[in-house]
Amino acid sequence: MSEVQAAPRRRINLGFDRFSGLYVWAVLIIVFSLWIPDLFLQVSTLKQILSFQAIAAMVALGLIIPVAAGAFDLTVAGTVSVSVCFTAWALANHHGVIVAAVGSLILGLIIGLVNSVVVVKLKVDSFIGTLGMSSILIAVAYAITQNSQIVLSVEGYGPFLDFARGQFLGLPYTVYYAAVIALIMWWVLEYTPGGRYLYAVGGNPVAARLAGVRIGRVTTIAFVTSGLVAAFAGIALEATIGTATPNVGDGYLLPAFSAVFLGATQIRPGRVNVLGTLVAIFLLATGVSGLQLAGAPSYVTNLFNGVALIVAVALAVRTASRRK
Amino acid sequence: MTTVLSVRDATKIFGGQTALDHVSIDVQPGEVRALVGQNGCGKSTLIKILAGFHEPEPGTSVTVGGEELAFSNATASESVGLRFVHQDLGLVANLDAVDNMAIGQGYITGPTKTISWKKERAAAREALLELGYDINVRMPVGALAMSERTAVAIARAMSTRGSETRMLILDEPTANLPAAEAQRLYKLVRGVADRGIAVLFVSHHFDEVFEMADSVTVLRDAKHIITRPVEGLTEEELIELVVGRKIEEHVTDADAREHGKPVIELKGLAGAAVHGLDLTVHAGEVVGIAGITGSGREEVAALVFGGHDRGGEVIVNGEALPQCRPDISIERGIALVPAERHANASLMDQTLRENITIVNPSAHMSMGFLRRSSERSDVNEWLDKLDVRPRNSEYTMAQLSGGNQQKVVIARWMRQEPSVLILDEPTQGVDVGAKADIHRLVDEAAAQGTAVLVASTDHEELVRVCDRVIIMRRGKAVDVLKGATLTNDNITAASIGRDSSDSAA
Repeated sequence: MSEVQAAPRRRINLGFDRFSGLYVWAVLIIVFSLWIPDLFLQVSTLKQILSFQAIAAMVALGLIIPVAAGAFDLTVAGTVSVSVCFTAWALANHHGVIVAAVGSLILGLIIGLVNSVVVVKLKVDSFIGTLGMSSILIAVAYAITQNSQIVLSVEGYGPFLDFARGQFLGLPYTVYYAAVIALIMWWVLEYTPGGRYLYAVGGNPVAARLAGVRIGRVTTIAFVTSGLVAAFAGIALEATIGTATPNVGDGYLLPAFSAVFLGATQIRPGRVNVLGTLVAIFLLATGVSGLQLAGAPSYVTNLFNGVALIVAVALAVRTASRRK
Repeated sequence: MTTVLSVRDATKIFGGQTALDHVSIDVQPGEVRALVGQNGCGKSTLIKILAGFHEPEPGTSVTVGGEELAFSNATASESVGLRFVHQDLGLVANLDAVDNMAIGQGYITGPTKTISWKKERAAAREALLELGYDINVRMPVGALAMSERTAVAIARAMSTRGSETRMLILDEPTANLPAAEAQRLYKLVRGVADRGIAVLFVSHHFDEVFEMADSVTVLRDAKHIITRPVEGLTEEELIELVVGRKIEEHVTDADAREHGKPVIELKGLAGAAVHGLDLTVHAGEVVGIAGITGSGREEVAALVFGGHDRGGEVIVNGEALPQCRPDISIERGIALVPAERHANASLMDQTLRENITIVNPSAHMSMGFLRRSSERSDVNEWLDKLDVRPRNSEYTMAQLSGGNQQKVVIARWMRQEPSVLILDEPTQGVDVGAKADIHRLVDEAAAQGTAVLVASTDHEELVRVCDRVIIMRRGKAVDVLKGATLTNDNITAASIGRDSSDSAA
């Protein structure tokens, strides 16, 4: 060997690129703490942020998987709606909790499989294919609810509602479900061959295939995963709100995609990842709830989410091009 | 005669690393100058400074035809008369030559601002005829032969309206051209130079240096080493100048090498361009496949491995291989280093570690977790073995030079200890040093009993590594060269259609 190189040198790096989200988060917390200390610096604020974001976090975490493999899954919102409506319908018609829950998960699985047939077998671009599927799922949700609202009363359905509303250490169970899903996704993406295959397919499908990765199978598993997670999020959402309307999932589409793409600028820049997604979700939620507590009108949520996504990704693009 | 290009003390530093160190060169009108050096020696940096892509350090001065060049401004480079053709040519494949030449400089329009197609076509045809190419300008350029595409790109560069063309700068003009087409391009370039235009070209192919250039400038480690006439220079001397050390002469003694049992057999292999190829490769044997583009040579590797749908049979160690299942091919011990690593092999944004272990990452699973430390030591071993620089498993593929990327792809497959190794254009865009290393690896693999199949347009490479070379024409194997008949010239002759003596007899 002509030249022995030293072990990878670690530069002292405050990580303004990789951890910019954490810095911004800290700044937000400081700003709101100084601005509205009585309202913001409360344990209840923290609990509120965590529990409000638990469902959105689950949907986003499931979505990471197909996006890592380079596929858009726009059906996550529709899957949440279908799952919410089916759960409510099954319970309201006295089929029992098992049928409601297992049925919803099976629906999520089927949606994932159909998505993968459309994308892998019919070779429809994932964006277009899942857009079409989303429309179909809206129809399904309306069909299930017969175009009306289903309400589950606390008296009749207490045990089911406790599935989400039950608390441990002052936090609703949904927060723990989201945490467990995050752990599983993190393990899959960072510590299993499956994670490598997902990123390889997302990075260069031709190269991945020639390296022996079965891209059709990987894509199928990705869609099934996001379908199952979205269906689970739907069950938890139904238990949280106790009512079902066919468009209930719509509000989760943009936040989930925002969180995943914003998350791709964090921790491991340039690739979607679990920790980055979590940072993104809670960063956005902190900003939004701080602004609301300070008296901002309700449209500020969407405004803030949109601006934050564009600014964060624009900054990430700039740092990436400077690095080259 | 005034000097066309005069570069003085060109220096460029990227984040503390000197990419170009006080390089000065002069090029005269009508001169064809080759710019050679290993990957990372600074030749691309120099070209990019000329093109207005990089801003050099203060103290650098460049004049073109006596005019000072303003840096970091592509328009300025163009207006002083520099014309660039990049390696990928920058053509839009589904548009014809007329559109490709008009894009970027505007169409010729009539009084109503509609395009005057007649004039536009005539201009395109004329520009190409001047270069000696009479091609259908209305055919999508993707359907043209490679050298014709290069001609379109050169014609486009030369016909830039608005300023006089003083100098043509080409990046690896014949990198992907089969020998016969390269010959055509040499003629084209000579023709351009005869019109008094200076030509500067970057090259890894020494045959094009000797065929095309009047003089050669060698850069090594960001520094100017020498500029001298090509006349009187031998290939060995040039290699030594580029590498800075002697590369030992390698002699393949085909008859001395022992070959084992047949490992892979192709029976009637067929695809889009291949029509029935029969071939057996034995353990420890290196078989080459040569042929012009379109002969089927370019398709064999993918067909065997299962990259494309195929007809016919591939039998590995006595068992038929299912088609279009690269994963099964890998399980059976086949490895493919595909051509065009960017498109077919590299995961550019991922680390060298992830690029190498993407085949069989499970080897590093323990207790349900992929162990990075065990992965890293495995990968580092390969980076050492192949002398990949920088030797750091956590760099991304995009941070490496072409030659080093290719070594990483080869490491990915060597790690599998394959029984069949298929290499498609293994040293495309790779510098001389890395090329020699890759050839040595092929020798080693064969010595360990691997059956090796190499498809290449680089005839010297085939002569260097192969025991025998199959020549393909029109989808079929038409000739076999080995032993004393295995020479550069014989391969060229056989691929363009002159049958070598033995098959004529």
